Amino acid sequence: MPAVSDAVGGQTRAQLLLALRTAILLVSVAVVCGLGLANLVRHLGSHEFPLAQVGAFAALAAVLAVEAVLLVRRRPWGRLRLPAVAVVLAASVLSAATLPDGRTASGVDWVFGAANWVGLVVLLDRPLRTVVAFLSAHELIAALNLVLFDDVDKGDLARLATGSVNVIGFPLCVAVVAAVLNRLAAEAAAAGAEIERVRTEEAVTAESHRRRQQRFAELADGTIPLLAGLADGSLNPEDASVQRRSAIEAARMRRLCAETDVVTNPLLHELRHCADVADRKGVVVELEARGHWPTPPVTVRRDLTDAALTALATAASWARVTVVGDHELVSVNVVADCGEVEPPRPATPGVRVEVLGNGETVWMEARWQPTT
Amino acid sequence: MAADDVITAVIVDDHAAISAGVRYWCEQASPAIRLVDAGDRLADVWTGPGATADVVIFDLELVPGRPDFTELRRLVDSGRRVVVYSQHADAATALKCVDLGALAYLTKREGLEHLIPAVRAAAQGMPYTAPSLSGALVADDAPDRPRLSPREAEVLRAWFTSSSKELVAAKLNITVKTVDTHIARVRVKYANAGRTARTKSELVSRALDDGLITLAELNQTDTAL
Repeated sequence: MPAVSDAVGGQTRAQLLLALRTAILLVSVAVVCGLGLANLVRHLGSHEFPLAQVGAFAALAAVLAVEAVLLVRRRPWGRLRLPAVAVVLAASVLSAATLPDGRTASGVDWVFGAANWVGLVVLLDRPLRTVVAFLSAHELIAALNLVLFDDVDKGDLARLATGSVNVIGFPLCVAVVAAVLNRLAAEAAAAGAEIERVRTEEAVTAESHRRRQQRFAELADGTIPLLAGLADGSLNPEDASVQRRSAIEAARMRRLCAETDVVTNPLLHELRHCADVADRKGVVVELEARGHWPTPPVTVRRDLTDAALTALATAASWARVTVVGDHELVSVNVVADCGEVEPPRPATPGVRVEVLGNGETVWMEARWQPTT
Repeated sequence: MAADDVITAVIVDDHAAISAGVRYWCEQASPAIRLVDAGDRLADVWTGPGATADVVIFDLELVPGRPDFTELRRLVDSGRRVVVYSQHADAATALKCVDLGALAYLTKREGLEHLIPAVRAAAQGMPYTAPSLSGALVADDAPDRPRLSPREAEVLRAWFTSSSKELVAAKLNITVKTVDTHIARVRVKYANAGRTARTKSELVSRALDDGLITLAELNQTDTAL
């Protein structure tokens, strides 16, 4: 069961995250290839090293392309994640370092508003603190570039501060939403699993209740009147016929318990349990089987074993129980010294019971033809 | 062997209690059977008093878990009449012994009732079919098994399940003698199939001489199935 709910939970999570991932990729492509590229092209003339800028742009575009491929194939970044982040930061550094003096966070500094989104694309399914760390690194690159290599004035700092609100704020919002979605998905999966577990438990309980009722109904015909008779004194435990009925019912209860066992040959298994009851009261029982037969349904098995258990329960000292079977006929036989015995009436139409008495020795045969 | 001669048998069995029990049965039998006890020494079957015994009572598993079919084949090939006396109850082992040419196959459980009759039959070169072997024959589903008539299968099944020929006769409304005839015919059919062995071919030719089975019926088994 945990495996199933895990699969269900995983599916919910994957669907939610897939939608978010697609949305973020589209936003990033729009930002990088729309705004970023437009700014780059427009201000290409004012760059000292245009090739470095184009290279940085190409690196970011390549990362987005890889994400598109991974998205289509429904694969996470996995081992590619770290190199991808490095590429994004390198592009950011390269572009910032080759920027004309005093242009940080201006329209010329296209990478300031583009690399942050690409980084977010790569780190979307990571914990929030990872995204925060990346965005801080990105901000630090711009700030350091400004502080270390440029003559800083108030205007530059103000520009950086206002730019940072957009550059850090928007991706951070998205990252927070992603984290919340992640948590919601996990909760939904857990709730789904819980519902599944409760439902299974209910089904199992209902089924075992049904089985118990059925078993009780099966005992109602034989065992319960016997026990009631013994309890109210209308049946005398010293009476031979009462003892015989008790022996038969004891064997039936043993058989009932054996019916639910998972074994390769249920018929033989149940016969062994019937034989065991006779064995306990000192009857020497031989049980032999020959041939291979299809497994009879439980009602047929009851009819087949009923003959044997009736004779076994009443045998005085010995009994021989044999089963011979093939695809056309299954024959359960018991020969025992049980004198007069009332043969049971089979409940299923395919079963025939024959009794042959020869003095004390009685031969009872129950036959079943699988094809009929 | 003349009819008034005493039957001698040699028993190979590593359990002293089994040999002692069989000796007791042989002494109590009427007429008594002279028993040579070879213990677990197979050599005593080939030399000394054991070499001239009419019947070999052979414990198939002198080494537990390793039925010695090779020794059984050697005995049969040198013309010995073998009654296999085994603690194995599985059908495959019984059928293999019959195919090799053993005249009887008994489980140890059947000894009390069937060992003495089996030894007497074997001394005459006749097969003996105890209930356990009967069950193995009727449940045999090998593709090259001889074809049995429905009646023969019915008799075998009844003999296995009731282990009383009187009960079989009463149930099928035939005489005990007819029960024996059906069982004997099955053994002839089996003797005519599979591996050749002297005991088997003797059995077939005697059955043909006695009119127990006709050549046509035997040939039918060759093309059966």
